[in-house]
Amino acid sequence: MDFLYFLDLSQSIIDGVLFGAIYSLIGIGFTLIFGVMHKINLSYAAASIGAAYLSLLVVSAVPAPLVYVAAAMMGGLLGWLVYLICFRFLPLDNPLASLMSTVGMLLAIEELISHVTRGMPLNFPALFASTNIELGPYFIRGDLLFVFVLGCIAMVALMQLLKRTRLGLATRAVAQQPVAAQLCGMSVNATNASTFVIAGLLGGTAGAMAGAAIGVLSPLMTLPLTVKGLVVTVIGGLGSIPGAIVAGLIVGGVENLFQFLRGVSERDIYVMLMLFVFLVFRPGGLFAAPGGRD
Amino acid sequence: MDFYLGLAQVIGIHTLLGLSAWCVLHTGQVSIAQGGFFAIGAYVAGMLTSMWGWPLGLALLAGAILSGIVAVAVGFPALRIKGLMLVVATTAFAEIVRLVFFNLTWRVQTPAGLVGPDGSLGFGGIRYFPGNGWSMLEINFLIWFLVAFVMLFLGWLDRSRVGTLWRAVGEDELAAQSAGINLTAAKVSAFGVGGCIAGLAGGVFAHYATHIEHNNFGILLATFAIAYPIIGGLSSLAGTLLAVIFIQGILLEGLRFLGDWRSLLFGALIVVVMLVRPSGFLRRSLGESFGRTKHA
Repeated sequence: MDFLYFLDLSQSIIDGVLFGAIYSLIGIGFTLIFGVMHKINLSYAAASIGAAYLSLLVVSAVPAPLVYVAAAMMGGLLGWLVYLICFRFLPLDNPLASLMSTVGMLLAIEELISHVTRGMPLNFPALFASTNIELGPYFIRGDLLFVFVLGCIAMVALMQLLKRTRLGLATRAVAQQPVAAQLCGMSVNATNASTFVIAGLLGGTAGAMAGAAIGVLSPLMTLPLTVKGLVVTVIGGLGSIPGAIVAGLIVGGVENLFQFLRGVSERDIYVMLMLFVFLVFRPGGLFAAPGGRD
Repeated sequence: MDFYLGLAQVIGIHTLLGLSAWCVLHTGQVSIAQGGFFAIGAYVAGMLTSMWGWPLGLALLAGAILSGIVAVAVGFPALRIKGLMLVVATTAFAEIVRLVFFNLTWRVQTPAGLVGPDGSLGFGGIRYFPGNGWSMLEINFLIWFLVAFVMLFLGWLDRSRVGTLWRAVGEDELAAQSAGINLTAAKVSAFGVGGCIAGLAGGVFAHYATHIEHNNFGILLATFAIAYPIIGGLSSLAGTLLAVIFIQGILLEGLRFLGDWRSLLFGALIVVVMLVRPSGFLRRSLGESFGRTKHA
């Protein structure tokens, strides 16, 4: 193993960690919804990609950075729609029913995207695509760095929202004790809806980031993003946002590492095996949520 | 006529898949791994008959037993995880199985040429049925005989002590443990029985399809597997059959006239069914509807 091999290895890991910001955002979305409603929304990644597609509607009319803002807003809208259709009217004590309805939603969104675009991948505007920063022997791709910075901004904004605003306070209250929150006068339905909207904003950003990093948008991206997002959520600990952030970067780095070592057709086997190792030694996740209600 | 026979075959195989998921869902574990056991049964049974000339019955049995063993092996670590994490862990397991078969290349020279799984090109040449002159009607008889056998077996299991233990564990694990029920035995046995049934279904599927590849065993299939018992109603075996007929027969085939928009409507219809009847089609088992009360 010579020095060049080691350089290529660490370059892969760096690229992977930068891409992992996307997985972090999707993981945060899953964990946010699970933390507040104790239910899983399997259509989340599909809605994120859908939001990125919707933002392409305005791509010819606005400068490129605003496309990302548009994607985030579309994501929020889609999140609210998913809440309305799949969660609002279902009885709370039947988790399987909402799981099934989100699966139905996932299928419907994926098929809708395939229909409207006739299955052709669409180009997504990527900023800083031709810039490469040199850091010693390593190249840091400009578009990946932009995606990473965007992800960091989104995470910081989320933490500020949760810690400093009344909406964030209400979200955390309903997550901890829904009955007590209702007694304090918070509307559980409104808070749940706003959680979905916040998660949707993050998801729309993640979808746009995925489109920017890969260069194209395709309905084939929804399923791998869903699976990896769930893996990130579980490794980070259900209901824990810092956990999802760290786990997303880890999964991104490990994925690229195994792609470098074993090739692209086998890399997911090792990522899943890593999940099993985590589940055996730390079933609560990296940052297990304190005092579990579950 | 052949079209309806083919449809009946698909319904039969998916019913077996749904029944395997019913076992596991009964103990309260949501497992997306049934697709993985289906794949293992399919590849093992297909390899045994096409590469080494085993008779069909033995090959199906071997596929089912091997899937059952793997299911028990997966069931033990699954004891430590509940809820969403189990969903993710079983999804990961199903993906691992699919990717292993995606990369598996093992070809053997037989009188009919090179036969065996060929990596991403899939596993073709499982010609037991055409080679031995089975007609579609006879294949149907085999499939539905297996369905009837499994349904009777599960119905017997459900009314016996084992079924009571499974239901107790499914309703409330803490209460079941404090009543002295062995949680490990109940959950792992449910996983094992479910895995066996899924392996059996996979073996029959491989022979009916004559060509299998990794795409057939993705997360979509596993999601269908758990959709059937949930939509059909968890307390009833006949509900699973009803749900398979509903989804495969009415939704997928009956909506064929809609052309491309079929799959879209399929997803939307699942959402609608869950909104209208969240606990599934049949809420009580068929025996109860006809006046007999459930044994305690």
